[in-house]
Amino acid sequence: MEPLDVELEDGELELPTDPMLLNMGPSHPAMHGTVRIVVELSGETINKADVQIGYLHRGFEKMCERGSWTQVFPYVDRLNYASPMLNNVGFALAVEKMLGVTVPERCQHYRVLLGELARICDHLVCSGAMAMELGAFTPFLYFIKARDMIWDIFEEETGARLTNSFGRVGGMADEPSPNFKEMVRTTIPAVVDLITDGENLLLENRIFLDRLEDVGIIAREDAVALGWSGVVLRSTGANYDVRKHHPYMTYDRYDFDVPVGQKGDNYDRFMCRQAEIKQSARIIEQALDMMADEGPVNVDDPRIILPPKEQVYNTIEGTIQHFKIVMEGIKVPAGECYSYTESGNGELGFYMVSDGSGTPWRLRIRPPSFASTAGLEEMITGMMIPDIVPTFGSINMIGGECDH
Amino acid sequence: MADGTITIDGREVPFEKGQTIIKAAYKAGIDIPHYCWHPGLSAPANCRMCLVDVEPPPGRGKMMLDILEYDKELGDYVPAKKPKLQPACQMACADGMVVHSDGSDDVKRARAAVQELLLLNHPVDCPICDQAGECDLQDYWLEHQRTGKRMHQEPVHKPKGVVFGETIVYDGERCIMCTRCIRVSAEVAQDPVLDMRQRGNRNEIIVSQGRELDHDYSLMTEHVCPVGALTSNHFRFKARVWFLRTGRSVCQGCATGCNAYLDYDPRDNKPYRYRPRDNEEVNGYWMCDAGMLSYPEAYEGRLLHAHVGGDDATVPEAIDAAKRQLEGHAGGSSAGGKTTVVLSARHSLEDNFALAFVAKRFMGIDEVYVARRPDGDEDDILIHKDKNPNSAGVAKVCELLELGEPKTFSQLVAAIGDGLIDHVISLGSEIDSDEAEARAALKQLKGYVAICTHEGVMSDAAQIALPACSWAEVRGTYINAKGHAQKTDAVLEKYGESFPGWQLAAALGRALGYKIDWRGRADLEQAMLEADAPPTPEAPPEEDAEAPAQGAES
Repeated sequence: MEPLDVELEDGELELPTDPMLLNMGPSHPAMHGTVRIVVELSGETINKADVQIGYLHRGFEKMCERGSWTQVFPYVDRLNYASPMLNNVGFALAVEKMLGVTVPERCQHYRVLLGELARICDHLVCSGAMAMELGAFTPFLYFIKARDMIWDIFEEETGARLTNSFGRVGGMADEPSPNFKEMVRTTIPAVVDLITDGENLLLENRIFLDRLEDVGIIAREDAVALGWSGVVLRSTGANYDVRKHHPYMTYDRYDFDVPVGQKGDNYDRFMCRQAEIKQSARIIEQALDMMADEGPVNVDDPRIILPPKEQVYNTIEGTIQHFKIVMEGIKVPAGECYSYTESGNGELGFYMVSDGSGTPWRLRIRPPSFASTAGLEEMITGMMIPDIVPTFGSINMIGGECDH
Repeated sequence: MADGTITIDGREVPFEKGQTIIKAAYKAGIDIPHYCWHPGLSAPANCRMCLVDVEPPPGRGKMMLDILEYDKELGDYVPAKKPKLQPACQMACADGMVVHSDGSDDVKRARAAVQELLLLNHPVDCPICDQAGECDLQDYWLEHQRTGKRMHQEPVHKPKGVVFGETIVYDGERCIMCTRCIRVSAEVAQDPVLDMRQRGNRNEIIVSQGRELDHDYSLMTEHVCPVGALTSNHFRFKARVWFLRTGRSVCQGCATGCNAYLDYDPRDNKPYRYRPRDNEEVNGYWMCDAGMLSYPEAYEGRLLHAHVGGDDATVPEAIDAAKRQLEGHAGGSSAGGKTTVVLSARHSLEDNFALAFVAKRFMGIDEVYVARRPDGDEDDILIHKDKNPNSAGVAKVCELLELGEPKTFSQLVAAIGDGLIDHVISLGSEIDSDEAEARAALKQLKGYVAICTHEGVMSDAAQIALPACSWAEVRGTYINAKGHAQKTDAVLEKYGESFPGWQLAAALGRALGYKIDWRGRADLEQAMLEADAPPTPEAPPEEDAEAPAQGAES
């Protein structure tokens, strides 16, 4: 048999050599929350990548300029929809900063508890989805099962599994239910067990490790320069956690560690998340012990807190209080503030301006995903197409907050 | 001029001799909470909300009262002292007086106590009360009380839904007995038809036996009511105030030109009520019932589309038809023609000026007529017998453009009958002469173009009718009987296919080939200023801060 290239001069192949443009997304199973990556390929290697966000844009900041401060809560639920409670608390703290009020200690512990539960959910979804996209379906199911157990708690406490809208300026929508502590105490060990099982399926799996280790590396300096925060920053070795370095609520009273990585690759990001889940579980245990069973949850200020319904329906004072807060909104003193908390993805900041009325004059959000997604282009350039999937998965871009 | 100063919470406040503390504070923009006091009424000092702490004159001790105060720790009442507070609405200012209002804890406690007392028997009515959203009880609860109910007994019940007259319904349970309505009737309307009976928590407002609340200022009782005790039939259950927006307007009911706020709902572009706008020079704080109820004229019976010969047409089509009809006949008497224009005492200075300007400068018309609503009742309070808002404005326009005294509508009818006039361009929708005669005469005309806001004899008789904006939809200037030129805001969006009257007049002139180069309102105002130059000594005084006579504000 004659060789195929016998008629070609100098062994030159007449193959197309123009780079190929390929759209990943906006509707692609691995592009969580609709993002579009236009990649210029040379073979399977990415020459150039253009990350295009905005497909989930819904005018969050502009929406907030209508309605009252309280009516913003359902909107912030839908920022990072993997952990709405953390956004709720972050926004409530921002408004409370402007009002100059501090919620009672019981409420602070309660907020920490619900927030850390939400953080566990957030990390579980990210890690589970990433593993699933690499072919590991079983750990995904384990993680989602664990998340659902936590969602059962949320359902019991707030009435909603996903978009809780449970935060309020000056407190929470309700006080902890009587069996809240018991529920959490029995659920958390079960959740940790499930997660450990899931991890055991992954961390000795050569395929999984090969696609994570030394893939999607980012240098610490670059991560800082890009304004990264949260897990993705800590995976590079930078030790910055808002809860530790600028403690808010009662975070300075719990004993917990901040897991950091070394290389800033996909593996480090995955492992940081998993380690953080364990730390959250530690915080939850301590907060459960510290939270009083009795006592006020909301601040005692009729200008901020709605009266109990029985007073609204039966006394004129309660009706007036309800009317003023609902129809005109809580009057936030004129001024501006920046308030920031550690959300599932990192530093979630709210910059807000009030003109003294019941409606935000301007509200700006600093979503952690926005900064991390900005670094994606640099991370995937030069890699192979299949590397996009775990890399994109490990930065946990959430469209709801990124497209603000 | 100030006769001295007092100090309120460390702030120097000037006062005139005889002024009360609250009035001096009101003028200086300091709000001392009050229910019964009203700047336009006498001060009975019965609500006790405006209590302030007044320092004694130098050399004299402060008057202190012995009281019993509840001590939470002891669980019993203990003797204590508190200063005797003074009602700011009755205490006259004296030079150097030192007053503590918001800065005094005793005053704050007193206000909270007064507010709690007023709410003791108040029904849980906010959800069904028209006042909710602009109620002093609501505002002051949040500002000065902020505590829940302590009295758990059944509240005292009083009559609800009492019909006081055709316009007003009274709710005894909501009433706080400030007596403002009684004083409005007695002092403003000069008809003391209201009074109160019983005392304490059985106190209620009543109408004199055999009478109804039917004087011409009955709606002012509702206007001054600080709570929802008095509600007016026309507004009752019609709108929630937080959905309403407001614009500054001038009542079109008579030549007094009362300043008013026109409250409208932007969602349906409809006005829901008038509220008097304070202007000491014109209407004080008040308006009459007829004026208050004249807001539906903005949407009732409006001419919304142009018509030509009885058939609907677009405005450009109608102007085109007008051009064909008037071309060749557009000369006035001095041009040897038989054409004239009719101005309107119900349209703004701008509309009248535009039409008169076209008539005088381009058509050679030297005599104009005026359409107006017939005269009516008058009183010596606010109601003027001339029921048109801009009669003085028409006179002013005629004077500026040297058109002589405008003739009446009956003179026009007579002139048409004598064959002296065969083409007319008119402004306005109402006339003060016999309708049948006028209709017959107008029908005889060879050409008749009417610019109307409302349907009526003029739009019916016109061969070509053009829809004009009402006073509520376009900015305008109205000169009242006293010579005050007052401006209105464009409050509503334009209805139907209507255009401002002056734009229609200008378009008509342009269609006839005249050089009218007003691009916008500013050009029209410039033309008005030029016609006015040199300024006449009788130019109306610029009384109203927001309504300069012919300001170039655009």
